[in-house]
Amino acid sequence: MIRWILRRLLQAAATLVVVVLLLFVLMRLAPGDPLARLVGDRDLAPGEIELLRERYGVGRPVLVQLRSFLAGAARGDLGVSIEHYPDRVTSLLASRLPATLLLGGVVLLLNFTLGIWLGVRQAVRRGSRFDRWTGRLALTAYAMPGFWLGLVLVAFVSLRWQLLPAAQMTDPMLPPDADLGTRLVDLLRHLALPALTLSLTSIALTMRHQRAAMLSVFRLDYVTAARARGLPESQVRWGHAWRNTLVPMLTLLGLWLPILVSGSVFVESVFNWPGLGSLAAQAIASRDYPVLLGTAMLVSGAVVLAGLLADLGYALVDPRVRPS
Amino acid sequence: MRIRRLLIPALLCAAVPAGAQQRGNDHGSVVIIMGQEPSTPIPTLLNGSANIAVSDLLFLRLARPGPGLTTTEERSFEPQLARSWSRRDSLTLVFEMDPRARWHDGVPVTARDVVTSFARVRDSTVDPQRALLLRYLASVIAENEHRVVVKFRRAYPGQFYDASFHVQPLPAHLVEQIPRGRAFANSEYVKNPVGNGPYRWVRRDPGRQLELQANPGFFLGPPKLDRVVFLTAQDPEAQMNLLLDGTADLFEAVPPVSGPVRLARSPTTRLLTVPSLSVLYLLINQRAPGDRERPHPILGDVEVRRALAMGLDRLNLARSTYGRFALPAEAPAAQAHWTRGLVPGGPGYQPAAARALLARRGWVDRDGDGVLEKNGVPLVLRLSVPATSATRAIMAPQVQEQLRRIGIRVEIVRLDFPVFIQRRNKGDFELDLSVANMDPSPSGIVQSWSCAGRAGSNVAWYCNAALDSLLDRTIYTGDGNEKSWRSAYAMIQADVPAVFLASPANSIAVHTRYRNVSFRPESLYGDLWRWSVDPGRRIARDGAGAPSR
Amino acid sequence: MIGSLRDLLRRSWRHSSGRWGVLALTLLILVAAFGPLALPDPAAIPDAVAGATPPSAGHPMGTDQLNRDLLSRVVNGARISLSVAALAVLLSLTLGTLVGLVAGYAGGWVDAILMRGVDAALAIPRLFVLLLLLVVWERIPLGALIIVLGTTGWFATSRLVRGEVLRLRHEPFVLASEALGAPGWRTMTRHLLPNAAGPLLVAATLGVGDVILLEAGLSFLGLGVQPPTPSWGGMVLEARPLIVTAPWAALFPGAAIVATVLAVNLLGDALQAALDPRSA
Repeated sequence: MIRWILRRLLQAAATLVVVVLLLFVLMRLAPGDPLARLVGDRDLAPGEIELLRERYGVGRPVLVQLRSFLAGAARGDLGVSIEHYPDRVTSLLASRLPATLLLGGVVLLLNFTLGIWLGVRQAVRRGSRFDRWTGRLALTAYAMPGFWLGLVLVAFVSLRWQLLPAAQMTDPMLPPDADLGTRLVDLLRHLALPALTLSLTSIALTMRHQRAAMLSVFRLDYVTAARARGLPESQVRWGHAWRNTLVPMLTLLGLWLPILVSGSVFVESVFNWPGLGSLAAQAIASRDYPVLLGTAMLVSGAVVLAGLLADLGYALVDPRVRPS
Repeated sequence: MRIRRLLIPALLCAAVPAGAQQRGNDHGSVVIIMGQEPSTPIPTLLNGSANIAVSDLLFLRLARPGPGLTTTEERSFEPQLARSWSRRDSLTLVFEMDPRARWHDGVPVTARDVVTSFARVRDSTVDPQRALLLRYLASVIAENEHRVVVKFRRAYPGQFYDASFHVQPLPAHLVEQIPRGRAFANSEYVKNPVGNGPYRWVRRDPGRQLELQANPGFFLGPPKLDRVVFLTAQDPEAQMNLLLDGTADLFEAVPPVSGPVRLARSPTTRLLTVPSLSVLYLLINQRAPGDRERPHPILGDVEVRRALAMGLDRLNLARSTYGRFALPAEAPAAQAHWTRGLVPGGPGYQPAAARALLARRGWVDRDGDGVLEKNGVPLVLRLSVPATSATRAIMAPQVQEQLRRIGIRVEIVRLDFPVFIQRRNKGDFELDLSVANMDPSPSGIVQSWSCAGRAGSNVAWYCNAALDSLLDRTIYTGDGNEKSWRSAYAMIQADVPAVFLASPANSIAVHTRYRNVSFRPESLYGDLWRWSVDPGRRIARDGAGAPSR
Repeated sequence: MIGSLRDLLRRSWRHSSGRWGVLALTLLILVAAFGPLALPDPAAIPDAVAGATPPSAGHPMGTDQLNRDLLSRVVNGARISLSVAALAVLLSLTLGTLVGLVAGYAGGWVDAILMRGVDAALAIPRLFVLLLLLVVWERIPLGALIIVLGTTGWFATSRLVRGEVLRLRHEPFVLASEALGAPGWRTMTRHLLPNAAGPLLVAATLGVGDVILLEAGLSFLGLGVQPPTPSWGGMVLEARPLIVTAPWAALFPGAAIVATVLAVNLLGDALQAALDPRSA
């Protein structure tokens, strides 16, 4: 068992190394050396330019660049931002991470609770109008671009009807001595629309997964047996059937992260939510390559980690997966 | 005059309710949205209008131009640090400083501060633009603690303006020891500046906001707005949203066409129009991009530039971008300049004549793809545009479309604002949609359109010796008059260093609870310290009083 | 192969949502192909001063902020979006199939390295890969956009094909034909593609939907299709300042995206259901 865990850990580490290599290749593939832009487009003193050349190996042979890149990644040093020079990329990422975690966490919660409940209901009422129409609605929402849905919601809910704030995470003019309750309400009001946008556009995935998992479980013998024993339907449904969909649903958690991250680039920029997504969007606008690269690295690392955790979770939940 | 007609509604709004506010607490705060961050609002480090706007609240001048901006008339100026002034002879001005003026740390403002500040500004390594404007200054001497004597090398009508406007004195006792240049920019003083104006520095939250607090001992009258916060928001959407949801009270760059419609729905905001000192123009780089020694292969030809000018419909461009807020412009003279009426009419919109002119210069469409060629080279030009500008976003596609009709293909290159500025300063562009915020006096024209200006804002390196000597005669001698201004503008029009498009007004959104509201074209927030809040309409943050720490 | 495909399509037609998907998609393709011929030039600015005008007889979808006919822009945008998506997915399919074949057949080192690479590539969200490649261009040529989209979408396909190859290579008929002297890989390819055609088609269809959304998103960020070429994402970006005063300018292009992606996904679903009826 320990050996299995260690092996998985090593695999994850290997994947991470390959990720960093791939990102380096991407950087070199992009036309017009992005690191050379560092020294070209900004108003820097000659001394600072030399420093950056040194740090990034601009103009040095590829292998030297690769070595300093890998060494930097291993140290946890992701370089310096071009636009917010001389702020470090890691500190920028660290300052924006909590907001994205908050938004992502709430979206995950919403998506899973609502998506699971709807998916189960769909499976139980398979073929009914409810099943078909919720499926269609979810699919329609899935087809909506996050930035568009966000804009539409802002236009009507915030600007026209003035129900919720249109942007940012908190009211900048909130007095510093405001109590916790006021702050919490303010935060929730700002959180509502971005969380709704991200959840709606991806709830179809959760619903489908849950529905498919429930349907495949329903066919199994022990469910029929449980019904035959006279157990109430809700207990059959939730106590026996649904429990067994947990394993396939874990795979969904692994899929979730890339979707959440990609969606948040658009949704956070539309709502000016100060998280990693809007940082990436700003980095795009200002061609701040180190920040984009750093964000990509952080996110990929998170995906690998999530995959690893999902696998370990699998092993915990389903004894059949564990090596004997 | 047109200027007065536009200012009167603004002043009327202020005058009418003035009598009602005597009772009750009329103090408050104001939150102002800025499109760019005012990171260095300190004289000699002022780059960009955001920095200039904030520095006008922190630092005073000797005197400031009156509302009509008749910068050649000494009597029209208003006292600030100088209480009164007189003339000794045609080359010498004497300023008597107001003994009540104090720096925010309590030290009195003296003539020594003025003299040392002039020395800094006249150093062309520190501030080449202003050094250029002050080149006919001979000496600045402190005769006693409160008297400054300014001597010129030449007698010309703009002397008083040059002596009073370009220099905002810095505190000698704090700044004298700091070397000029980069050391000053990184010094402690810049992180916590001490000024002498109606507002004092509180703190700056980089990227987010900058806060100022009223200076209760301000010698010209204590401000009623206790707290001024400048919020940075670059995205045009975010700017309007902050205004409409009540987070901010004031925004000076309301989108001219869509803004008024959106603001009409808001009962707490009103829109004011103030003639501005901006001119919008399509700057043409006559040098090869990135290599200023060589002329541009296509745009170096003056006839091609004339064709460009004839191929653009200024009226349509101005109206569609600015609505009723702008007038078409034919020369670098803004709405608020007193020389506005002296600009001769240009050739106008003549696309057919433009095509014919290009054909005469050898530009013909041989392969029928709609784009003219000459010697195998297609007539393709790159138009650089900053990505966050809403007005450029409307104007650039129209310029592209109008020039397409005369056979020129324009490729729009969207750049991030710092990159846009950088490329522009290096001359790495072909066409550039620029907005110039000009000086209150039309004499500021030399910064961008004279040979000496190549060290500064004349980024396209336009240089015409004949124009230079004409401008010199017009501005810096007693012979300058309306006729010579007319000739100067006509010469610029004939040379086409840029196609001047529009002179927009400022469309400013203000919360309706403010009283005594007025704006100056050259310093939008210069009168902020006279504003007050209607006691019956104060809101939560008006009661904040002391600023947050 | 054709037979099984035809069978597949017939079975998916039985699905009502599949039918809607096919009909809608066919209509969209027809409109995109022939519509621009009957509509005014999307770049024409008749009267910029008038700005955005609401839907009317002369302009069924209204006009955008520069007074350009919105219907014409949306239809031309359809052409761009559909062709970019189709070409990109085609590229992805080809690359994915090739890599999957090589990995599955070669086995050993090659397989291990390729699959480890694919795993790592799948860990980097596709959007970020696109951003890192596109952000350095000043003006992205359409061809480059298609290539970049195509080369970032083949990873899942390669896994699929590899799986099929691994499944088939130990089948008796492959071993038998190898014994007879025909090289294993030729037999496999002849038998492989028909077997994999179904799942590949589903993956391709759903992939088109993904690419349309991605391209719209990139255009919204300024990194996709460059103006003045109309693109739905770009139109939403330009209409953003007018969202309250002229909502049609952003609503119609967005609705076009939703309609197209929905149609494509319905079709993909129907194909999926036809392949594996238990999931319906």
